[in-house]
Amino acid sequence: MKNYLIGETKSVCPVCLKVIKAYKVEKERKDEEEIKGIFLDKTCPEHGEYSTLIWEGDATSYLAWNRENTLNDSQFYQTDIEKGCPYDCGLCPEHKQDTCCVLLEVTNQCNLHCPVCFASAGDAVKQEPTLQEIGYYYETLMENGGPFNIQLSGGEPTMRNDLCDIIRLGREKGFSYFQLNTNGIRLGEEEALARNLKRAGLNSVFLQFDSMTEKPYEILRGKPLFYIKEKAIENCAKAGLGVVLVPTLVLDVNVNEIGSILQFAIDNLPDIRGVHFQPISYFGRCGLTAPQRRLTIPRVLSEIEKQTNSVMHANDFQGGSVEHSHCSFHGNFMKQADGHIKAIIGSKADCKCSSNQTREFVAKRWSAAKCCKKKEEEQEKCENGSTTSLDDFLERMEMFTLAVSGMVFQDAFNLDLERLQRCKIGEINKEGKRIPFCAYNLTSVSGKSLYRNE
Amino acid sequence: MTENYDQSIGSIGEFICEKCGIPLIKSQVRFKYMNNAFPVELLMCPKCKFIYVPEELAMGKVLKVEKSLEDK
Repeated sequence: MKNYLIGETKSVCPVCLKVIKAYKVEKERKDEEEIKGIFLDKTCPEHGEYSTLIWEGDATSYLAWNRENTLNDSQFYQTDIEKGCPYDCGLCPEHKQDTCCVLLEVTNQCNLHCPVCFASAGDAVKQEPTLQEIGYYYETLMENGGPFNIQLSGGEPTMRNDLCDIIRLGREKGFSYFQLNTNGIRLGEEEALARNLKRAGLNSVFLQFDSMTEKPYEILRGKPLFYIKEKAIENCAKAGLGVVLVPTLVLDVNVNEIGSILQFAIDNLPDIRGVHFQPISYFGRCGLTAPQRRLTIPRVLSEIEKQTNSVMHANDFQGGSVEHSHCSFHGNFMKQADGHIKAIIGSKADCKCSSNQTREFVAKRWSAAKCCKKKEEEQEKCENGSTTSLDDFLERMEMFTLAVSGMVFQDAFNLDLERLQRCKIGEINKEGKRIPFCAYNLTSVSGKSLYRNE
Repeated sequence: MTENYDQSIGSIGEFICEKCGIPLIKSQVRFKYMNNAFPVELLMCPKCKFIYVPEELAMGKVLKVEKSLEDK
C-alpha cells in the first residue's frame, strides 16, 4: 500500500512542544501488528520523527466524517495573538469556536489516586479557589460570552464541603446548567449529598464509570468501585439528578466492556441519561505508554457495533457539529415500548450550529428526564384530529432516549491545531481565562505543562 | 398562538376547503421526516386531499419533534 497525503496541519513536538508542521497520511504500518489508517506524521528538527494513528480507516471514511461548521461564533477574546497557537490561549482571535462548557476545577484533592489521572490530582498541597475567587470566575465568564454550561471538576469536587454554595453562587450569577464530574464515592456513601446538590441547583452527574466488573477499577483506579457506582446512581435517581456514565477506555483493560455498559445504561433509563466514552489520553499523570494502535473514533464505533450485536450501528453516529468533527461522535437511541432500540438519526449535513445551541442541547439531554405525557382526559379533548404519535414520540424522546457519545482528547503526539482551534470546552485559569481543554492539559513527554500550574 | 393544538382546533368548528368548497374531514395522514414516520389524524379535503396543518401544530409539536431529531 502506498502512502497518500490527505491533509496538512500543525502540531507540536512531544519533547519540546515547539509548533511543527504535521501531515495526515493514509498508510499501512507494520509494528507489533499491522495497522491501516490515517497517521499524523511530523518531524521536529531537534527531536526527530513521530507518526501517530489518528483514524483507523481509509481516507474516504476520514474525510466523510467531516461536518464542516461554517459558523465562526467566537467573539469573546481575552488574549492577543503574540506567540501563535497554542501559546496564546485565553481565548485568542485565532480560536474559531465559542465555548459551550467550562470546567471549573474546584479542588486538587481526591479520594482516589488513579494512576491515569489527567489532572494529576491528589497532590499533598491543597489547592482550592475560595468562594470569592470562584465568584470572580463566574463574573468574568459572564462578561465574556456567558452563561456557559459549568462542569464542576477537580480533583474530586465532592471533597469540598461547600460544593452546594459553589453551585448556588453560580446560579445567582446567572448560570443555569451545572454538571458534576465525579468518581461517585461520596454520592454513593452519603444519600443526602445528591439531594442537597439537587436542591442547590445541580442538573447532572458525569459519573466516572469504567466497567461492570471490578478488575478494570482495580487497574485504573486502584480499588474495586462498581458497588459504590451502583449506589451513587441509585441516590442520584432518588434526588432527581440525571446521570451520564463516563467510561475511560483503555486497550486491554475495559474496551470489551463497552457492550455491557451500554446495556446497563439502557436497562436503567430514564435515570441514566447517557454514556460518554473517553478513550484514554496520554497526558497528565497517565503512567501508561501510548500503544501503536491507539483507540480512534472508528475503532470505538466498531466495538459498539460488535458488542451490541449491531443494535447500535456505526452508521447511527455522527461527528461533532460545533467542535471539530474528528474530536467526537454522538448518537441517540430510543428504547421503544416493546424494548426494541431505535437509532434516532437526524441529517448529517454540514451545519451552522452555535455553541449556544449545543449548550441547550447538552443541558436538555443530560439533565433528569421530565415526564411530559399528556393526561388521557386532555387527549380526549381533541375533536378534529389526533396527534398521539407525536406526543408518544416526544415522551419517549424525553424519558427513554439514551445519548451515546464520545470525545477523543488530544495529547502532544496527536495534537492537531485545527482541531484545537474549534474546541468548545474551556478550563478556566486563575485569571478567569478559558483555555481549551486539550491545551490546558497538554504535557511534553517529560511532563512539562503548557498551561496547568503555570 | 396557543400551544395546545387539540384545544384550539376543537373550538374553531368546521373548516371548508377554499378550492373545492366542501368540509374537511378527519383523516389518517403521515408526517415523514428523515427515516421517521408519525401517523396522525388531521383535517383533509376528501376531494383534493389538501391537508390542513394548523400553525399551532406546525410551530408546536412538529417543531419539537424536528428539534429532537436534529439534536437542535
